[in-house]
Amino acid sequence: MNRVIIGLMIALCVVVGAGLFGILDSRATDVFLEATRPDFQKIPIGVFGFQNGGGPEWLGGRIEEVLKADLQRSLVFSLVDLPAIGVKAREVSTTDKAIFKQAAENGVSVLVWGKSGQKNGSKDSELLMDGFVYDSGSDEVVGGKRYVGSTSVVRLMAHRFADELVFRYTGEPGIARTKIVYVAEHGNARELFVMDYDGYEPKQITADGFLNLMPRWSPDRRFIVFTAYRSRNTQDIDILELATGKRWTLVSMAGLNITPALSPDGNFLAFASSQDGNSEIYKLDTRTKTPQRLTVNQGGDLSPTWSPTGREIAFTSDRGGAPQVFIMSADGSNVRRLTYEGDYNAAPAWSPRGNWIAYVCRTAQRLYKICTVSPDGQKRVQITTGPGIDDSPSWSPDGRHITFSSTVDGKSHIYMVDTDGKGLERITFGGTHNSSPSWSPAL
Amino acid sequence: MRITVATMGLTLTVGMLLVMQGGCSKKSIQSGGDAQSTERGMAKSGGPAPSAMGSTGGVGGGGMEPPAATFPDLSLSSKPDDLETGGLRGFDSVSGGKAPSEERLGGGGTMLAKVEPSESTARQIEDIRREQAKEQAASAEAGLRDVFFGYDSWTITEEGRQSLTHDAQWIKANAGALVKIEGHCDERGTLAYNLVLGEKRAKAVRNYLVELGVGANRLAVVSYGKERPFCNERSESCYQQNRRGHVVVRSK
Repeated sequence: MNRVIIGLMIALCVVVGAGLFGILDSRATDVFLEATRPDFQKIPIGVFGFQNGGGPEWLGGRIEEVLKADLQRSLVFSLVDLPAIGVKAREVSTTDKAIFKQAAENGVSVLVWGKSGQKNGSKDSELLMDGFVYDSGSDEVVGGKRYVGSTSVVRLMAHRFADELVFRYTGEPGIARTKIVYVAEHGNARELFVMDYDGYEPKQITADGFLNLMPRWSPDRRFIVFTAYRSRNTQDIDILELATGKRWTLVSMAGLNITPALSPDGNFLAFASSQDGNSEIYKLDTRTKTPQRLTVNQGGDLSPTWSPTGREIAFTSDRGGAPQVFIMSADGSNVRRLTYEGDYNAAPAWSPRGNWIAYVCRTAQRLYKICTVSPDGQKRVQITTGPGIDDSPSWSPDGRHITFSSTVDGKSHIYMVDTDGKGLERITFGGTHNSSPSWSPAL
Repeated sequence: MRITVATMGLTLTVGMLLVMQGGCSKKSIQSGGDAQSTERGMAKSGGPAPSAMGSTGGVGGGGMEPPAATFPDLSLSSKPDDLETGGLRGFDSVSGGKAPSEERLGGGGTMLAKVEPSESTARQIEDIRREQAKEQAASAEAGLRDVFFGYDSWTITEEGRQSLTHDAQWIKANAGALVKIEGHCDERGTLAYNLVLGEKRAKAVRNYLVELGVGANRLAVVSYGKERPFCNERSESCYQQNRRGHVVVRSK
């Protein structure tokens, strides 16, 4: 166990160090965290209940349910069915040597338990969650957490606890507190919404009454950039500050102004505009407000996505007649085609670890599915299969999941899938025409 | 193992210093132009004149603030804020039966400002509805015909040419009328590429009308991609309806 942790930490340092010294680029695909390696062994974790002490009846069960789902999705842990292996306890305490021993002997590496209930002496019905962690590798109670808050933060308590666990065992921030911004139909319009990564707590963030499309996060999670139809006839690229609702126009040129994407350092906005006749990719320096046109050709260029180093941009272009994914340097030089299979490949999204680009591929059966390709074009994988039009892939910040929209269940909804095509999960159930998901950076 | 940990620590420390330095040197200055100069700068970057639509069309700002002279500093010059609850703090020791220290979680959704459709937004929505209805009525009265396209295609068919010949006659006969061509797509393919495809269709229609002698300055184009479909069924007959250059009389 300890070897795994140390290994992960070393790998993290290699990546951080390499990134800082500028030797990590898209070609360095052999450098990435052990937790994303195919031979990575998930850490067996067992979760006892969060016994309820005076709170609402649903409290303990809710915490347990949310925590288990988070740990499952982390892909760092594998949930052990404790009763099934005979590890049973009505109540666990931090000195319960017998139960720890039993769990360890049954292959459980980490044991989690806790309490929940009304906070003592709290007038405004505040709730409390205690969570404790035992590690069988070191045979010790690692520690605990106590969260306090209103009923509206119960899910967040579990999410935070999950992220603490992921951080402790990988040194990486977890994704349990990340969010997804997306487009949903509202009245006759398309408005922007933000929800938790598991589809809960959707909140509307625009109310313009017409079309708001293709939202993307700023790297610091404070802003959303998107295409807004200022009127029914022209589009701008706007930026919205989530905490205040304040809004600014970044780009307002003639023609289409679409597919904005901020660079990883926030210093550049790449986007597509058709002011010069056909759609081309531009790069706006957000400090000097100086724009630069990056592509020059007769075809339509759009959907720029930055490599995590900010040195390269992948994009869609139909310069060869049909849309394909291309890569260029961030100054517009060194353009090369990345996708060759099929006659429709579009909407690229560069993974946060740099080693994959997800995109929409049209299969031989003319189905629109999610594919991934390595930046050198050597490896290609079709991630989703079956019916439904899949669109707008976006990576989780840990690089282990892709969220996308699909019409597989009729109306368009938001889904997530592991990068190996497993773990497909629908995450929106309400609303109509949920589309264009974009996953936030981690905290 | 101790040495490894120490090395890691050193790497991280050096790394942090570099990041911080980078961050400081990247501190941006809010100067050097505004949204308008952005537009001018863009126009200078070359290429043919902007499309006829320019900035004359539409209902204007409505419920939204007008384009700001500046926009916020977006560079990562400071650590990302954890607007919700603060960063992770790790586990507290609970040896000897000690309780963990209390971590208070606030708000639940405080990182998001509440959006309440304001009066001006409601007015804008109403304007859009009214304008759309007016356009529909005027277009129906004019008897303008739409152009339909093949899958993945923006080539105008023989049937499309006949429709546009008819439309061109009306436009030339009604010298005061302004016409808008909306490009539409069926639901297949990506949202983003369909916006570009919709624009290609709209521009193909515009270019053919210009060939037929209609002044380019009377023709505006806009693409709605697959976002404003005419029908929602998953069938070829519906897809055919949605692959369209929709020719409308502009309300203003």
